[in-house]
Amino acid sequence: MKDKYIARLEKLKPEGIQSTLMIAFSVISISIMMVIGIVMYMWFSMSTRQEVVHTSRTMMEQTGENLEDYLIRMRQISDVAYYNVVKENDFSGQSEKIQEGMNLLYEANRDNLRSIVIYNNYGSLLAAEPIVSQKEDPNVTKQEWFIQAMDEMENMHFSTPHIQNLFDDGTQRYYWVISLSRVVELTNRGESQLGVLLVDMDYSGISQMMTQINSTSSGQYYYLCDSSGKIIYHPKQIQISDGIISENNKVAAQWDDNVYDEYFGGEHRKVIVNTVSYTGWKLVGVIPYSTFTHGMADLRYFIIILILLMVMMLMVINRVISVRISRPILRLNDSVVEYEAGEKPSIYIGGSQEIRHLGYSIQKSYEQIDLLMKEIVWEQNERRKSELEALQSQINPHFLYNALESITWMVEGEKNDEAVFMISQLAKLFRISLSKGRTVITVRDELQHAESYMNIQKIRYKNAFSVTFDVDPAVYSYCTVKLILQPILENAINYGVSGLDDSGEIKITGKLEGERIILAVEDNGIGMPKEEADLLLTDSQRVQKKGSGVGLVNVKNRIQILFGKAYGLVIESEPDEGTTVFVHLPAVPYTEENRTILEQGRAIFAEEENENKTKNRKDEKQ
Amino acid sequence: MRIRQRIGKMKNSKKMFILIEAALAMAVIILAVIMFLGNNVNDRERVSVIVQNSDDSQWAAFKYGLKMAAEDQKIEMFVVGTEGAMSAEDEKNVIEQEIDNGADALIIQPAAGEDTEEMLKDISQRIPVLLVESETLGDKESPEIPVIQADNYSMGRTLAEELLKEYDGNLEGKTIGIAVETEALEATRSRREGFMDGLEESGADVRWSVSGAFGQGRKSLEAQPTVDLVVALDDRSLTAAGEAAAKNDLHGALVYGIGNSSEAVYYLDIGVAECLVVPDEFSVGYQSLTRLAENLRRFFKSAEGSTVTHTVIRKENLFTEENQEIIYTMSQ
Repeated sequence: MKDKYIARLEKLKPEGIQSTLMIAFSVISISIMMVIGIVMYMWFSMSTRQEVVHTSRTMMEQTGENLEDYLIRMRQISDVAYYNVVKENDFSGQSEKIQEGMNLLYEANRDNLRSIVIYNNYGSLLAAEPIVSQKEDPNVTKQEWFIQAMDEMENMHFSTPHIQNLFDDGTQRYYWVISLSRVVELTNRGESQLGVLLVDMDYSGISQMMTQINSTSSGQYYYLCDSSGKIIYHPKQIQISDGIISENNKVAAQWDDNVYDEYFGGEHRKVIVNTVSYTGWKLVGVIPYSTFTHGMADLRYFIIILILLMVMMLMVINRVISVRISRPILRLNDSVVEYEAGEKPSIYIGGSQEIRHLGYSIQKSYEQIDLLMKEIVWEQNERRKSELEALQSQINPHFLYNALESITWMVEGEKNDEAVFMISQLAKLFRISLSKGRTVITVRDELQHAESYMNIQKIRYKNAFSVTFDVDPAVYSYCTVKLILQPILENAINYGVSGLDDSGEIKITGKLEGERIILAVEDNGIGMPKEEADLLLTDSQRVQKKGSGVGLVNVKNRIQILFGKAYGLVIESEPDEGTTVFVHLPAVPYTEENRTILEQGRAIFAEEENENKTKNRKDEKQ
Repeated sequence: MRIRQRIGKMKNSKKMFILIEAALAMAVIILAVIMFLGNNVNDRERVSVIVQNSDDSQWAAFKYGLKMAAEDQKIEMFVVGTEGAMSAEDEKNVIEQEIDNGADALIIQPAAGEDTEEMLKDISQRIPVLLVESETLGDKESPEIPVIQADNYSMGRTLAEELLKEYDGNLEGKTIGIAVETEALEATRSRREGFMDGLEESGADVRWSVSGAFGQGRKSLEAQPTVDLVVALDDRSLTAAGEAAAKNDLHGALVYGIGNSSEAVYYLDIGVAECLVVPDEFSVGYQSLTRLAENLRRFFKSAEGSTVTHTVIRKENLFTEENQEIIYTMSQ
């Protein structure tokens, strides 16, 4: 299974250089964009989160201060009512004065006040403002605020919101109030007794403040509870008491002023707690995490769009770059491919320095291959042609006719021994000429062939010249191309010594010089000027006036095809002095193996070519 | 061949490139559209609420519940201003008007009468409708339109039980008058049925029963013969009875009833009414709108009816914390 997937992956590997570049660039740039995007988003969301918390905190502090102001004002009212009104006056004699003072206070603060009431310690009403009828039996002493006040006489007490159950003002309505109650010392008929001063604040004063900060619709909300966690204001008060939703107010009430993270009701939320001084009430701000994400949705989209746009742009840029980088390589490749396909366009050279160099190299090597191909074709042709020619020379009818005529003469003249010698020489000559179709033979055979030939010629020319062989036996066992001496000897006879009367001398020498074998045919004939001697080896169009028609050029070519340009013929000649033709051959021992290699082609020659080339290159560098 | 292949490949890569760019561009456009649409959240669903005499104080808790639910559900809620008792025909006109005004769903207190059911069935074929307070008169077995209401039968029965408790189960020789706003509502019938079932074998003598628009309610009650107990089975008759009793026009009859307005509470508070059974109107409002909102937002989910609880309040427990909360919702 795994291998399958790997194989599929391998298949996916891009083949072109451009797609490789493109994909690499794209992957890198996209991942960078992703990282940047994520970091940017996190950074933004973090700062937004902090901002939201900070704003909420500021708002809560503001509201907390407002609440405190409000409560302080209530306390001031209570203080004024106590110290300026109640304490100063006697309830029996100065009740009008008390009523007046309370009225003044009430009127000054009627926006926030529901009522100011004074009860004695038995719960009977002493004075109230505004004046409305008391309910039949409000059971004052059982009411929470009264009990609280009596429990801790030295303190003022803020109650939680409740329905005011004291008066019947005829409107058939019920008022929600927060009671501020305290025990007071009052004078009634000159006697000092305890009583309870009650200042009922309108709950709407506080609820309005709270509603105001709760008016944002983004999900965060604020509530107010007392120190025991009892809710004073909550935007979803009824839902909480009906059990539709729940609030962590009991826990939050225990917390000090700070920002907390909590997990409640299935979601993470930030909770900010702010204590309202004196009352111990807690103003709690709740920011569910969903609020943050809600505000972040747009940012998220925006960042994604931004990233997508950047990716689009980067892809265009990547493409341009990858095309620019890969185009020279592709064009080079194209031209090579076309070349391989058989068309012959010029190899593309362009682009960066490395690619240009590559182009040059390829171009040069192709040129060289062309050249070599041409040479090979030429050589093959030459070889075939020259071997044919050489063979033809052996069965030169003129030569054969002359030889046979000589034999006829000998037989007629009853020179039988000579005739036998002649025939045996002729036989040897042809045996070596044919050599089982081989091209390469030993130097010994070649010399034997030359000797046979000279013997026949000597008889034909009636010993008009002398022939000497002076060959170092060391050269016998080396390789040579067959039938190279015969054309030279033929030339020597025809052009050198045939014109001389009995004084012609032809000398054949052979020696080993280092890695070379040098065979030489020297005659003392008429010789020729140097220019003419040079022409002998270069002008293949020369028409042979006499002889087999196999020119020295042909001999030279055959040697060079087999052994390389370093070998061949050298002609030294002086007019009236004579001519010497040197045959240069490499000293290759005659073995079956070497023979095969040489006949098959150009092993040695090729090696030398290479050597030459490296030499040339070195020269260039120098 | 190879060149051709390579050229083909190049064309492929170009095609691929253009394709990817196009796909990215599409994604950008789609995201931009989503972003743009997301910012236009003005298309909130709108639910119209049609109740009779909508400004009456008995709806205070109900409306408060609606308002809270609207905030929680982020839905637009509108209580249609109506006055007086509506017939099915009147109600139909109001409904049509609301649908024309773009209401996505309706919360309706069915009008009294036999022909209401047919009319509401027609409407409910067109847009989601939820009934409150009462079912329509008709075949009880297949309530096609969901209703959210108090358990009317049980409320009637509870009231009877409270009466019996007062008199130690013996109502022998006591005369009872029953006041209802209208007889043509399923709710009233259930309440009466529950009440009568509760009074079975108690020996109580139900002397009279009045119904009608209580604009002149006090008068019509005064005109009735003297009884020991007056039982008002809905808020309007209870306040009417309370008002009459407060002026001593009921000849000393004790008032019991079902009510959910601050006036009703007031009469209990001042001792005019003896006992009050209060349906949880806040929940009726809250649940009805919540259900409808869910219905509107979820396909293939029809709103289901349900019953809400009710509370017995007497003067002694009027100001307990729980009951204060009930009064709080009534005073909004």
